[in-house]
Amino acid sequence: MRQKIKQIIYDMRHQPIIAWVSLLATAMSVFLIMVVVMIQRVQVIPYAPESCRDRLLLGAYMHVGCKDNNYDSSAGMSYRVARLLYENLEGVETVSYIEPQTEWMEVRGTTGESYMVNGRHVDANFFMIFDHPLVAGRYFTTEESESVLPVCVISHTTARNAFGTTDCIGSQLSVDHKMYTVVGVVNDNTPLARTGSGDLFIATGPDDPAMKSYNDEQIFGPVAAAMLVREGVDFQSVRDQVKARYAVIDTELAPSGRYTIYHESPFDQETIAAGIYGSNSTPDKTSGRVIRTCLYLILLIVPAINLSSMLHSRIRRRISEIGVRRAYGCSRSRIITEIIAENFLLTLAGGIIGVTLGVIFASTYSGLYENMENYGSGATPAISAVLNWGTVAAAITICFILNIISAAIPAWKASRLSPVEAINAR
Amino acid sequence: MAIITLDGIHKVYRTKDIETTALENINLQVNPGEFLSIMGPSGCGKSTLLNIIGLLDKPTDGTVTLLDTDCGRLSDRELSHFRNHNLGFVFQSFHLIPSLSVADNVELPLIYRSGLSAGDRRKKVEQVLERLEMSHRIRHLPAQLSGGQCQRVAIARAIIGNPAIVLADEPTGNLDSKMGSEVMSLLHRLNKEDGTTVVMVTHNESQARETDRIVRFFDGRIVG
Repeated sequence: MRQKIKQIIYDMRHQPIIAWVSLLATAMSVFLIMVVVMIQRVQVIPYAPESCRDRLLLGAYMHVGCKDNNYDSSAGMSYRVARLLYENLEGVETVSYIEPQTEWMEVRGTTGESYMVNGRHVDANFFMIFDHPLVAGRYFTTEESESVLPVCVISHTTARNAFGTTDCIGSQLSVDHKMYTVVGVVNDNTPLARTGSGDLFIATGPDDPAMKSYNDEQIFGPVAAAMLVREGVDFQSVRDQVKARYAVIDTELAPSGRYTIYHESPFDQETIAAGIYGSNSTPDKTSGRVIRTCLYLILLIVPAINLSSMLHSRIRRRISEIGVRRAYGCSRSRIITEIIAENFLLTLAGGIIGVTLGVIFASTYSGLYENMENYGSGATPAISAVLNWGTVAAAITICFILNIISAAIPAWKASRLSPVEAINAR
Repeated sequence: MAIITLDGIHKVYRTKDIETTALENINLQVNPGEFLSIMGPSGCGKSTLLNIIGLLDKPTDGTVTLLDTDCGRLSDRELSHFRNHNLGFVFQSFHLIPSLSVADNVELPLIYRSGLSAGDRRKKVEQVLERLEMSHRIRHLPAQLSGGQCQRVAIARAIIGNPAIVLADEPTGNLDSKMGSEVMSLLHRLNKEDGTTVVMVTHNESQARETDRIVRFFDGRIVG
C-alpha cells in the first residue's frame, strides 16, 4: 500500500499531466454520477414534508373517451369523482383531497407589502399525511375545511414577510384580495416535495367554489387525492380497488357512449418523480429508469475509455519496471492485481474529490430552483437526505467499476509482456 | 553436481520472413560456488543465454536444469517462485525502480516471498545495505545516487533473498573504471563469502580473467 501511494505521488510529480487528468476525470465522472443520483434520489427519498413517501400514493386525473368518435377529454378530477374513486379504500390509512400543484397567490398582511407565495387548497387530512411541524397555532379542522371557512395555515417565512412575526395567529391575511384568518404557522418546506409543499394552505372542501367541477356531470375538476397507505400494504392492491371503482363511472357514462380510460392511478413517488405529463397518458417510469441507466453507463464508459488510454500511457513508461518485478518473482496475476490496486487508489482519490464536489453541490442544491427572496420560503431538504452512507457507498462502487473497466485491459497487456522485452524496453 | 546444466540449447527468433539463430546447441555446466564469465562480441548471444539461465526467456529447444530442477516443465507461477527464491539479477542499466527509495528497491524480491513480516523484511534490508556500505542512502531515491551506488543497490537487491545463483549482465558496463572495479570486488566478495554462484556477461577481458572460468561465444556457439 505504502509503495503504491509512493508510486502515485511519483507519477503526480513526473507525469503530471496524465496523472492529474486521470485524477480529475475520475473526480468529474463520480461527481456527475452523484449529481444524477442525487437529482433522482431527492425526488423519491422521504424527507419533510413528504416524510411518508414510502407509503404515499397520489390519485390524479380523469380521462374519458367516446365510442362513437375519436373524441376524448381529460383533466383533473372533480371532488365527487375523487371521493368516489379514493374514499374508504382498503389498506389506506388517510386520504386527503388537495390541489395537486401549488399556484402563485398574492398575499398581504399587516406589513402592508404584498408577496407572491406558493399556495395550495387542501383539506384537514392533509396535515395528517404530510409532515408540517407547527411553529405556532394549529392546523385547521375537518369541520372548518368541510364548511370552507376562510382559514389558512402559512409557512414561517410567509408569516414573517406578511406580519413581521410568527406570532400572527388570528390575524387576517389577504390572499388574492380575499381575507383569511391565520390559524397556524408551520416550518418552511421545500418545493422539491411537489405533492406536499407550500407556503400557504387554504382550507377547502366539496363546496369550495375554488375547487368546483369543470362540467355539469361533476367528472372533471381541480382535485387530486393524496393517500397514506397502511404499513406493509401493497400499492397494487390499492390500484386494483381503484380500477374496479372506475366501473361505477363507466355505468354513469355509458348512456352517452362514453367510457373511462384508466392510467394506473394512484401513482407512487417514483412515478410522480418520473413526471405525470398529462391527464391523458399513462406515466412511464420505465423509460426514466432506462434513461438513467444509459446516462450512468455513458458517464462510466466514456471516462473509463479515456482513463484506460491514460493508464496505458503511464504503464508504457514503466515497462522495464514490470520486467524487473517479473524477474524478481512477481507473477502475471500479481502484476494485474498490483496495477488494478494502484489504479484503484488513484480512482479512489478522484472519487473523494468527486464526493467533495457532490457535497458542495448538495449543500447549494436550492440554487437549481429559483426562489427569490420574496417568493416563498424555498427551504431545501437536509444534505443528509440526499448524501448519506448509501450515496457514499454508491460513489465507491462507481470508483471500483470505473477502475475495473479502465485498468483491466492495460493491466492484462502489461502482465503478458515478456520479461526480457520488458526489461530491455526504453 | 552442477548447479546449472544447459543441454542442447537452441534459440531461434522467427519473424514472418526471417529466422535468426541466436544460440546453437549450447551445452554448459556451472558448478556451485563458481564465478563464470561469458565473453564474446556484441550480438553473439551472451545476453540471450543469460536470460535463458535466468528463466526470463525460454529456449526453442534443449533443457535448462537449475538446482536439479528441470525448469522447462515449470508453469509461469512456478517460474516466478523459482526465480524469487533462487536467482538474483544485476543489470547493466541497474534497473532500479525510480519511484521507490533505496530501501524499497532492495526489499522488492522479499515482497513477492510469503511468510516474511514487514519488520523482518526491513531488518534484512538494513543488514544488506550495511554490508554493501549503503546504509546512509537508505531513504534516497535512485535519481539521487551515483552510478556506482545504483549498482551497489542493485546488487543488494540481487542478494537480499540469499539466491544460489546471481546473474550479472555487464554489471560494470555503465560505470567508470574505479566504480567498475569496486562493483567487481563486491561480486567476488559475495562469491567467496557466501558461496554464491555468479554468472557474468562482460566485454572486459581483465575482469573476466579474475573469474574462475571464461566461456567464449561467437555466433551463438561456445568457441572456448
